[in-house]
Amino acid sequence: MNCEEAGRLLDAYLDRELEWSSRLELQEHLSLCPSCWSLAQERQEFRTLFRATTSTYKAPSELRKKILVAVRREKTKQAFALFRQPWVYAAGVFILCLSLVLNILFPDSGKEISRQAVLCHSRSISPEHLVDVNSANPLVVKSWLAARLDFSPPVVASPASAYALLGGRVDVIQNRTVATIVYKSDKDLITLFCWPPKREQLPQREYVINGYHVHVWSNAECNYILISKFRGPETDGFTDSFRDQLQSGAYF
Amino acid sequence: MEEVQSIFEKLCLPHLDAAYNFARLVVERDQDAEDVVQEAYVRALKGFEKFHGNDARAWLLGIVRNAAYGRLQKHVRKSDLLPFEATIDAETVGDPLPDSYHEERVQQLDEALKRLPVELREILFLREIEDWSYRKLASTLKVSSETVVSRLSRARQCLQQELARAGRKELKHEL
Repeated sequence: MNCEEAGRLLDAYLDRELEWSSRLELQEHLSLCPSCWSLAQERQEFRTLFRATTSTYKAPSELRKKILVAVRREKTKQAFALFRQPWVYAAGVFILCLSLVLNILFPDSGKEISRQAVLCHSRSISPEHLVDVNSANPLVVKSWLAARLDFSPPVVASPASAYALLGGRVDVIQNRTVATIVYKSDKDLITLFCWPPKREQLPQREYVINGYHVHVWSNAECNYILISKFRGPETDGFTDSFRDQLQSGAYF
Repeated sequence: MEEVQSIFEKLCLPHLDAAYNFARLVVERDQDAEDVVQEAYVRALKGFEKFHGNDARAWLLGIVRNAAYGRLQKHVRKSDLLPFEATIDAETVGDPLPDSYHEERVQQLDEALKRLPVELREILFLREIEDWSYRKLASTLKVSSETVVSRLSRARQCLQQELARAGRKELKHEL
């Protein structure tokens, strides 16, 4: 390596950017050439001096505050930017229309029929016309109902110990002839409406209508609407046990 | 968004001093530097989701550089620039200057720096103060590595010449 080449590579060498083989060659040249060695020393000193004497400043504290404010304002702008997009409003209107159309095309049939069932339940309470067949014997209730209906409703003797079978009657709800089975406890009265689903199997739902708790479900044999005044562990236990017994076939 | 902002603040705010110093070096005026840094932070936040690297400082300085050049082009003619003064409102970092000789050297260096074209000032800052590699310089300054080598060499040479000229003036003055 000659002095001209060494001078050309010197900056990269001092910047630690020279590749390994050239670095070794240059180091060898520097150890043999006093003038290149002193040039290297001079440049190194200049760098050291530059680093030592360059003024560096601390950013004013006001600037830090301004940046925090600007950055947080930007965040808020970005959050609200979504609401400036016309498509957001279009999507909102679309969803609203879609839900209206769906409601019209596929109304919640369970709710409407539950409302009618609740009216029927409350009508039966006021004149104390709870049942037409008054018996705690499920066989008696079942045969009475079967004689008046074109189906044979499942009658569970006593799904929960706190409730006793009071009897049954036949009602008409939204042009459907339904079996009504009534259970009574010390403080509550539970009315169960059931009828064969035919083509309309109600989805499982729970409602509160006019202060009554309504539980709707169905299986292959029947749609069921169960209405009680109170909602608590006892009524929940009644419902669960009733459904279990239906499922296991423990009914008349 | 909350989380993104918090990460952004943790990653970028510690480099505020470097961003400020770099902006001052490019645009020269304190107020301009503050505006540039503020603008750069907002730009950085907007583009933060695209940042996947691990060198937030270099990324931020790149944005400061763009903002500073944008400002130079839009608002300030170079001939309008005020001198790059050492005595400004901002606090100086590090040890207090020990003696008048050192103070004089600082002033001389600042004076010499301010006479360099902006592209030479910035490359000196990024290499000597920020210790950037040639590769990082090339990618941020958008030039080839050969240009980095030649520009750095020219910057050092020019600065040495300016310092020598200042030294000769001072000697004349003393005589």
